[in-house]
Amino acid sequence: MALFTCGRLGSKSVLATIGRLPASVSTAQYAQAAVPSVTFKKFEEPRVEHHDVKNTRLNRPLSPHMTIYSFPLPAMLSITHRASGIILTTYASAMGIGALCLPNDISYYMTIVESLNLSAATIFAAKALIASPLGYHLANGIRHLYWDTAKGLSIKEVYATGYAMLAASVVITLLLASL
Amino acid sequence: MPFLRLTTGTFGQLRSFATSAALGKKVKTFAIYRWNPDEPDKKPYVQNYEVDLDDCAPMVLDALLKIKNEMDPTLTFRRSCREGVCGSCAMNIDGVNTLACISHIDQSISKPSKIYPLPHMYVVKDLVPDLTNFYKQYQSIEPWLQRDKEAVKGKETQLLQDVDDRAKLDGLYECVLCACCSTSCPSYWWNGDKYLGPAVLMQAYRWIIDSRDDATDKRLSKLKDTYSVYRCHTIMNCTRTCPKGLNPGRAIAQIKTLLSGMVKKDSPIMDPAGLEKKAASN
Repeated sequence: MALFTCGRLGSKSVLATIGRLPASVSTAQYAQAAVPSVTFKKFEEPRVEHHDVKNTRLNRPLSPHMTIYSFPLPAMLSITHRASGIILTTYASAMGIGALCLPNDISYYMTIVESLNLSAATIFAAKALIASPLGYHLANGIRHLYWDTAKGLSIKEVYATGYAMLAASVVITLLLASL
Repeated sequence: MPFLRLTTGTFGQLRSFATSAALGKKVKTFAIYRWNPDEPDKKPYVQNYEVDLDDCAPMVLDALLKIKNEMDPTLTFRRSCREGVCGSCAMNIDGVNTLACISHIDQSISKPSKIYPLPHMYVVKDLVPDLTNFYKQYQSIEPWLQRDKEAVKGKETQLLQDVDDRAKLDGLYECVLCACCSTSCPSYWWNGDKYLGPAVLMQAYRWIIDSRDDATDKRLSKLKDTYSVYRCHTIMNCTRTCPKGLNPGRAIAQIKTLLSGMVKKDSPIMDPAGLEKKAASN
């Protein structure tokens, strides 16, 4: 392109020759520089960066989850199942540890409760409160066992069994509290 | 030239008049999660956009496109097919994971529509999550047909499958891998590195029960550990949220019955290699 422009500008043979001169020189240089020694780099496995490491390096934030998700009823029932399980475990361990460490046996503590002279309604409410994790965990546990046969897992059935389970857990709790 | 300026002015006035009149009508606020990797000092934030619903097509994706085209070209999100077959525009809309292209805009203008990227994922930018781990897990279940005897090139024959065996794949193969279900699952949030998640497990099940597939035992034994499948606690967020109406929760339960030996995979009704054998005997 430069050559072309020079030729057009000058329209004299001298200028045109000057324009052509570097071109011939560079060709000669190119010929000398040809056939460079080729060195091969040893093949290296591409370095695989762990997903978490890469994202931490890039300072990428974690998108919000617990705070923005609107949990449907089955999810709430599921987390309650876990909570009731934890409460039941606490009962069992408290009784075990209590039997080991407390100076008196359980009948002693029962007489203390009786000596408080609480009204029947209060006793019933307290009993229901203590029994409700058992009622819930039992009823929902049966629902989970049914699910383990890969049945009843359409959304419609999940909701229907959920409501039925809630009703059953109330019945079991009331039965236990009235004992 | 002055004439041209005059006309643009007129059009401009007309346009601003039209929008200001509409402002009194149906303006919906969209509260959208924003994060830009080029501004590392800025924490993720929520930006509000006001969209005139009378001047917008009915789907959430339409509103997003309108915002990107007319208000803020920096808003970033994935989209492609705009009809729920590609799974690109998966995001969390009003607390539920779904595809923006097939979910209607909530027409009540009193409360804003909240749009976040898929939950508990690394954010590349705005509504774009990093799905590398998800795809890697999909790759790990080897989602292709495996035969004991691989076909010789040039001598492949069609594999036979009975209509009833084919029907078992319905409700499984339709998955578009949008990752809505996996990112709705609390177990996947906490154990996403080791638990495969509902989307990938449903595809694992799809290949396990395919009557033409011979690698069933290999596939099942690969899933036999405490994390891959058994982090599923039947929370059922996956099935609840699936924009295609599929049931990954049930598929995982069916994998569990196969893993425990309660159920055995049926032998194929039709010999898959029937045509091959026939060709060999001829």
